[in-house]
Amino acid sequence: MSFFTRRRIRNASLLVLALAGIVWWVRAREQTLDSSALGTGYLLLAAVFFLASYNVRKKLPFLPLGGSTAWLQWHIYVGIGTVGVFALHARTAWPSGWLEALLAVTFYLTVGSGLVGLYLTRTIPPQLARVSDEITYERIPAFRRQVRRQAEEVVLESVAASGATTLADFYTARLYGFFAGARGWRYLVRPTSALRRALMREMQDVRRYLSEQEQIGCERLFTLVRRKDDLDFHDARQKVLKLWLFGHIGLTYALVLLAVLHGLLAHAFHGGVA
Amino acid sequence: MSELEIAVPRPRRWNEPFGEMAEADVDALLRIEPFRSIDANAFPPSLPLRGILLGDTRIGRYQAGDLIVREGDYGHSAFLVLAGTVRVVLERLDAKLLGREEPPRRSWRQAIAQLWSNAKLPEVRASAGANDPANDRVGTRDESGTARVFLQDVPRLLEKTGSVQLGVGEIFGELAALTRTPRTATVIADGRATLLEIRWQGLRDIMRRSPAIREHVEQLYRENSLRVHLRETPLLYDLPDNIIEQVALATEFESYGNFDWYSDFGPNHARDATEQIAAEPLIAEEGDRPTGLLLIRSGFARMSQRHGHGHRTLAYLGKGQVFGFSELIESHATGEGVPWRHSLRAVGYVDVLRIPTEVVRELIIPNCGLWIADCGLRMQDTQQSAIRNPKSEISASDARLLDFLADHRFLNGTQTMLINLDRCTRCDDCVRACAATHDNNPRFIRQGPKHDNLMVANACMHCVDPVCMIGCPTGAIARDANTGTVRINDRTCIGCSTCANSCPYEAIRMVEIREPGGAFLVDEATQQPILKATKCDFCAAQLTGPACQNACPHDALVRVDMANLTGLSQWLGRKAG
Repeated sequence: MSFFTRRRIRNASLLVLALAGIVWWVRAREQTLDSSALGTGYLLLAAVFFLASYNVRKKLPFLPLGGSTAWLQWHIYVGIGTVGVFALHARTAWPSGWLEALLAVTFYLTVGSGLVGLYLTRTIPPQLARVSDEITYERIPAFRRQVRRQAEEVVLESVAASGATTLADFYTARLYGFFAGARGWRYLVRPTSALRRALMREMQDVRRYLSEQEQIGCERLFTLVRRKDDLDFHDARQKVLKLWLFGHIGLTYALVLLAVLHGLLAHAFHGGVA
Repeated sequence: MSELEIAVPRPRRWNEPFGEMAEADVDALLRIEPFRSIDANAFPPSLPLRGILLGDTRIGRYQAGDLIVREGDYGHSAFLVLAGTVRVVLERLDAKLLGREEPPRRSWRQAIAQLWSNAKLPEVRASAGANDPANDRVGTRDESGTARVFLQDVPRLLEKTGSVQLGVGEIFGELAALTRTPRTATVIADGRATLLEIRWQGLRDIMRRSPAIREHVEQLYRENSLRVHLRETPLLYDLPDNIIEQVALATEFESYGNFDWYSDFGPNHARDATEQIAAEPLIAEEGDRPTGLLLIRSGFARMSQRHGHGHRTLAYLGKGQVFGFSELIESHATGEGVPWRHSLRAVGYVDVLRIPTEVVRELIIPNCGLWIADCGLRMQDTQQSAIRNPKSEISASDARLLDFLADHRFLNGTQTMLINLDRCTRCDDCVRACAATHDNNPRFIRQGPKHDNLMVANACMHCVDPVCMIGCPTGAIARDANTGTVRINDRTCIGCSTCANSCPYEAIRMVEIREPGGAFLVDEATQQPILKATKCDFCAAQLTGPACQNACPHDALVRVDMANLTGLSQWLGRKAG
């Protein structure tokens, strides 16, 4: 059993135990005809603040507040645990008031984005590692320009050397757009190698019409197409990783604000004996 | 000859001489001891004694208080006193005097203050440093283009420490130069002194052809270091003192490889793996009859086995590890000759102690007695601390990893930054944490050579053999005696780039510095920017330890001592899950 599997089992067991303890406490309160809403509400609010504080921890790497790995593990399991506490607190999947409904939606979206992020951060890195080069996200536009310039030089050189324009025509018709810039949003959501394979096939087909000089250029274009596709892949996958976090943190801020407002209103309209 | 070829003289050893020696200087040297007694005919025409003195030596003139060598410095040369006297300081001097003041660990208040006190611009410094006003006991001056650090009020300084005076004709610094170990003492000029500094290559060649000098140096080593080294070898832990004494007397010293290995190694000198192994000097060859037990004294050696038409790396051995013991044991037990099962090659530069086979048979194995099996196990443990069991078959992936580590000489690292690309989300939290803890300047680059899904980032590895320290004129780059971390003292760094040029791992970067207002600092004489060497300091001043590792949320980044391959193996093994 690997280290990570053992850690998952240990942390999941602790979570189940903690949730069981909370359920037991809620039932005990209810058996005495007492309300548990305030208790679970505060627990939920504390959990939300704790989860949000992970981002603060990241801004303070110079303080001995524990390793980020441990924080992330707490963040994941406390985050999953809040779903159980939320269920105990709200008692319904869809609260009636508009503020509570908004709060619930924000909560679901935050938890959902967290789970999506967990999936993405565990599945995208191996995909990136399989691409030959390690590419820094911020440098991708510069690399793209470089590849495009190289491709244009190859085409111009082959025209000058052969006097034929077959390769240049093919480049203008099929490759210019590919080298021009980033891929569209569809590729961002679901990157595939379909376009790369299609372009490779078409280049293979057009080879029979190329002069010897142009064929040399075509070979170099093959390499550049592969390089550009790798850059696009890194760009798309790394962008998803960054956008996800951006969304998750934005939702967290909204959740903290709404949760605090909900708490204040709950106290203000609590009623009971003055 | 085609137009694509240009004929140039082949680079030769003394194209870049060590100093500016004149023929008259060499004549003068040849009239004094020890050079007068050396037989010049023992040197081949291609490597004359005169040439060595001309190309591998230089004369330095020092004034009272000048620091000649500092304790802890990495030496690559020895010194002969030509005129005047020098003082060897017997006790450790204050680190501040040597320009090696340890950065104080920050308090909580200072750590939090980094939130608002970090500079907004890159590489901001309060001053250009070098002449540190805070330390009025140390000064710097320029001697014929060479920066010299001098101590003030030396007599008062030496009152507490005690010292030994060396006079004309005496040699010092030879062991550190030949064994690539830190200088063991600080030497200060005692009045005006003239010294001949001879770089290790020249000293080695003279030792090879001058038995008197070789015996002198080896005698010094036997007296000062060899017994300790033998005692530190696990295999010889329990041998009685008189046996150790006899083993020490019979031990032979050997050196393999190029002391300046870093000069032709690095990304600009990439070679095919087969070529690289073939170029590594052979210490012992698989199939040959063992000529002794080999102990690695310093450096690294690659243990390999023939595999098809090439060699497969099984392990690499470092200081204190042994080669060939199992063959000698088996030979002793069976009474039959057992050849070496593996080859041993120098990776970079290796110092080897060879204990002759007869000595092993007559002195070591009998004295292991009933513990002979234990001896074997200990040897195995020693190697396992750095490698897999060499007797067992290692997997193809392990062999590829070992090849990668040995080919890139990452085995030199004690705090190598490894990134598991299967877990790294490229979030750059590590880089941001590094910047936040270094005045907003990251001290490493999240790029580097890859092997499968493992990346070795361009971060200082705090090497076992920190070649960056060789030649630093002010001692600004030094190894911390307590932690082993190689640090740069920003205040005494003069920006000469010697360390950055020497580092084969591209872990040191020269940066142009600014004053707090944002203006770049330039040399008032040349108007050239003032540079400082920068690199990872392993967050020595921080409360947290290495910020990069602490900041990684995904268990993707780790700092690893490459001598502990068991730890590396465990870390790599857990990524499978």
